[in-house]
Amino acid sequence: MTRKYELVYVVSPEASDDQVADLHNQVDAIVQRIGGSIEKTENWGRRRLAYEIGRHKEGTYVLEVIHGTGELMKEIDRRIKVTDLIIRHLVVRVDEAQAVIERTKARRSATSQRRRVARGLPADRLPGEGQRGDPDDDRDDRFDIGNERGMDR
Amino acid sequence: MNGGRKSFGAKKGGRAGAGAQGKDGQRRPMFRRRKVCKFCADKIDDINYKDTKLLLPFVPERAKILPRRISGTCALHQRKLRVALMRARQLALIPYTAE
Repeated sequence: MTRKYELVYVVSPEASDDQVADLHNQVDAIVQRIGGSIEKTENWGRRRLAYEIGRHKEGTYVLEVIHGTGELMKEIDRRIKVTDLIIRHLVVRVDEAQAVIERTKARRSATSQRRRVARGLPADRLPGEGQRGDPDDDRDDRFDIGNERGMDR
Repeated sequence: MNGGRKSFGAKKGGRAGAGAQGKDGQRRPMFRRRKVCKFCADKIDDINYKDTKLLLPFVPERAKILPRRISGTCALHQRKLRVALMRARQLALIPYTAE
């Protein structure tokens, strides 16, 4: 039973870029060994932590999207826990939540298309139509977390 | 049955009137803007813990989660929001507390 997981880990700010890359290779090695795949890896770079974790005020965030079994994630979790360089980590199973989101989106667009056809309009919204901007337009920057510095509050 | 509903309506109207008079300095009755769920209104399906820009308005100064009665978020989305906020807290993306 292969599932989709997201792993985010925060590496100590003292770690060099090589060490961060090495940690990624370690994760990759476990994934390869147990039989899974890494869909993507994102390095968010060095970010300020919202609170201190063991004297550290900053950390390097790395996100890995992994396909694999629960056993695989258990092993990764165990290995990360004994790695001193990683100061915080989080494993989240995302496949079910993403399926729900996609279903909601599909249902919404189907409903809107049906209603538009019933009103005698073309099924898809034309550019420049509607009273206010499409919410998708101004939300393109949702995930560029790396550019947002000094967000302590 | 019908009478009961009618009396309820009358009672409600009476209470609203009393509320308006309670603010004796003002002539206009207190007008409160109807709150709508941000996620329903903007059609945001994905309340993601990585999306700090989306989450931060729901953690005011003390970094406590903004209650539904203030933000107007619907029950479904408040539940999802809470999970996302708690995950973001774990990763130190948003604070647990602030002095």
